[in-house]
Amino acid sequence: MMKNAGRDVGGAPDIAVRQLSVWYNQMPALQNINLYLGAGQVMAIIGPSGCGKSTFLRVLNRMIERLPSVRVEGAVRIGHFDVFDDHVDVTGLRRAVGMVFQHPNPFPMTIFDNVAYGPRIFGIKSSAQLRKTVEDSLKQASLWDEVRGKMRRNAETLSGGQQQRLCIARALAVHPEVLLLDEPTASLDPVSSAKIEELIVQFKSHYTMIIVTHNLQQAARVSDVVAFFEQGRLIEMGYTQDIFTAPKEKRTEEFLTGRFD
Amino acid sequence: MLKIDKAMDQVTYVSMALFAAIWIVLIAIIVSGAWHFVQTHGFVSSVASFQWDPLQSHFGIGSFIVGSITVTLLALVLAIPGSLALGVLGSRILQGKWQQQFVRFLTVFVSVPSVLYGWWGLTVVVPGIRRLSHTSGYGPLSASIVLALMIVPTFSILSLNALRHVPESYIEGSIGLGASEDQTLWHIILPAARPRIVQAALIAVARGLGETIAVQMVIGGQVRITSLLHPASTLTTQLLTDLPLLPVGVPGHHVLDFMALWLLILMTVIVWLQYRLRGSGT
Ligand SMILES: Nc1ncnc2c1ncn2[C@@H]1O[C@H](COP(=O)(O)OP(=O)(O)OP(=O)(O)O)[C@@H](O)[C@H]1O
Ligand SMILES: [Mg+2]
Repeated sequence: MMKNAGRDVGGAPDIAVRQLSVWYNQMPALQNINLYLGAGQVMAIIGPSGCGKSTFLRVLNRMIERLPSVRVEGAVRIGHFDVFDDHVDVTGLRRAVGMVFQHPNPFPMTIFDNVAYGPRIFGIKSSAQLRKTVEDSLKQASLWDEVRGKMRRNAETLSGGQQQRLCIARALAVHPEVLLLDEPTASLDPVSSAKIEELIVQFKSHYTMIIVTHNLQQAARVSDVVAFFEQGRLIEMGYTQDIFTAPKEKRTEEFLTGRFD
Repeated sequence: MLKIDKAMDQVTYVSMALFAAIWIVLIAIIVSGAWHFVQTHGFVSSVASFQWDPLQSHFGIGSFIVGSITVTLLALVLAIPGSLALGVLGSRILQGKWQQQFVRFLTVFVSVPSVLYGWWGLTVVVPGIRRLSHTSGYGPLSASIVLALMIVPTFSILSLNALRHVPESYIEGSIGLGASEDQTLWHIILPAARPRIVQAALIAVARGLGETIAVQMVIGGQVRITSLLHPASTLTTQLLTDLPLLPVGVPGHHVLDFMALWLLILMTVIVWLQYRLRGSGT
């Protein structure tokens, strides 16, 4: 998109969603979503609880398929991945599309093993290479200084904010191109939240990112574009500044100003 | 209302005290009998000896201790793969109502009386081993197979619960990184469930160690253990055999207390291990 002209977007892909609908047990959760996100951009998804934000993220890496009685229609393209094509490499897709969850979910193992988990799964055995990947990823997630020399500690001994950055490092270790963040700071204190936000800003243009957040200031601070969802529909999407200063839809305005029922 | 509550409380306390008292008396009888035995016959010499002929004052219970431990551990080893496989099937492969049906199905086998497992051992396992090994077919191996089959239902229900207990967030974390369901099972789910699975194994071991009838029916009842394929005995089966031979008052009766004490010791070790291993888990 225009805004990205001249910026290095590396391998970050764009995301195109066409006529996407999702049902849980015949109940619609997303209805006819169409949107486009440029390479290396950050999109914030906002909207009331239950409007389908998490569902939307779960569609993008096909995590949605693990739930019983789900039906998905429409098409999603992430870079060269035709996400719902029968022949798509789901493992490769999930590797390229990292996900960070609302509650930090480190594995019950050491800090090192958490970050090394992905690379090991993908066949890296050399310990020198693993150590380098782990160190790089932890540095990228701004956690290295806090955990160096403590690599053998159980990850669950870290604070909530550190755990969340560990989960980010774990995702980065498999060299994703897209990051999906589902309310990544919702369970954290303000200082830890600020650190995560800082990371997102740093990552800008290196990764294409989608962040779900209930914190409107956060959305304003980190995103290039904002999408407002309501009851499974995409009500409005636009540049962050435009959405916050001059929303086109009445519902968006009501939501942003808190006059929302 | 209050009066009834109080009365109920009292009934509860009294029955609890009674229960505890009975237990203490039982253990005291065993311990004092065993003490009596150890003073006359020695601890080490009885445990280390494999010669058993109580009417001739040979009280070596080494064979029975070895028999109990061998049969139980071998049964555990045989039961582990099947139980884990059933646990995985019931927790991760079957979905929704099939899961419940599966647990119900396993529960039926938990409640089958042990004499029926022994019967099945007599009619299937012993002849099978006989044909394969050209021995009588009675012995610790047959006993282990029967015992394994007996503990599989309990063990697999407990493993199933252990596996189901693994937080979905770990699994999503792994799948989200691009790991397959299989990789997630091996690298995340099984390790995360391990403390509870170990506990399940120990409960299964405790059950196996105490089992008498089913083992007695297929182990052959010889007093000296020589191999897995030749008749032998365990602490429990020999206790059962010699109770009529050594009634209270007969010299040598106290060796039975000593054997019972050994069962209690082995059980205590299992319970202790259970606490130890649970403490170190997640
Ligand atoms: N596994 C599921 N089975 C059935 N219905 C579901 C499931 N997950 C979500 N839903 C329903 O789909 C709708 C959208 O849910 P979703 O979790 O995507 O909302 P959300 O916008 O992320 O909400 P929140 O802000 O509370 O996280 C809701 O009505 C929810 O009840
Ligand atoms: Mg959500």
